[in-house]
Amino acid sequence: MADAIEKVSPLHALAEPGRFGDTSGEPGVGLSERLCDSLVQVQAWPDSISALKKAVKSVTGASIKPGNAVATKGDVVLMSTGPGRWLVEDETDDLEVRLRKAIGADIGAVTALTHARTVVSISGERCEWVLASGIALDFSADAFPVGTAKLSHHHEIGLTIHRTGDQAFDLYVVTSMVRSFWGWIARASAEVGYTVS
Amino acid sequence: MLLIHCPYCDETLPEPEFAYAGEAHIDRPADPQQLSDEEWRDFLFIRTNAKGPHYERWRHINGCARFFNAVRDTVSDKFLTTYKAGEARPDLAKLLEGQK
Repeated sequence: MADAIEKVSPLHALAEPGRFGDTSGEPGVGLSERLCDSLVQVQAWPDSISALKKAVKSVTGASIKPGNAVATKGDVVLMSTGPGRWLVEDETDDLEVRLRKAIGADIGAVTALTHARTVVSISGERCEWVLASGIALDFSADAFPVGTAKLSHHHEIGLTIHRTGDQAFDLYVVTSMVRSFWGWIARASAEVGYTVS
Repeated sequence: MLLIHCPYCDETLPEPEFAYAGEAHIDRPADPQQLSDEEWRDFLFIRTNAKGPHYERWRHINGCARFFNAVRDTVSDKFLTTYKAGEARPDLAKLLEGQK
């Protein structure tokens, strides 16, 4: 029996640590890549949303919040991605199995996305400016408060964007597209200078 | 930038997040086998092609992915309203009154 499959960065040889772009002053943003330990989508039927919410709480201990507010508890993150649909992330390796046990076909559908999404994190003083240069959302703190998540896209690449701090966002990018997306965000960041960690 | 309100997300977002999906409120015939060739053709291809307010379907393809309906003026490209799929078409006279 082979050992557990080793996770390999889809940004291998592309997102090398260092300082890039404008180096005349402090870097405007910092970029980093994160591979999820577990990322699972749950989708309720129209009449089973409350049952699905209870099931998610029983598995994760976190309660789904209304609207696009992100629920966090420990290492658990719950983000709304549409009516009756949420992304569930945590740092275990059996989240999908536990959710499948709790959410039968009568309640909804469970889809494992751990390997299908790569998180690109951006932080720093100019992160709103960098994101707004290519993504058609209002990134100001009034319109996009800390602790909320929104769906959007960059050209044809779908994005789930979680504002994790005043100057910090996590972008969940389709893994097969993340090299292309990284090419854009690195070029967009070059003008203000950026670090990769 | 053209902004469209998604009735499911309850947010007004830029048009590139959305995809046009044809005229709205067209019911698929219950028994297509009973239709004449002309009736089937009309169902598949013949549309109102309105000049002015038009009931149409849109999809929030880069968001919640849901289909919804809209009333859009094909002359001005202005959205009069959007509403969830399955809801009755809104009263056009009231919508136009609200625009004045």
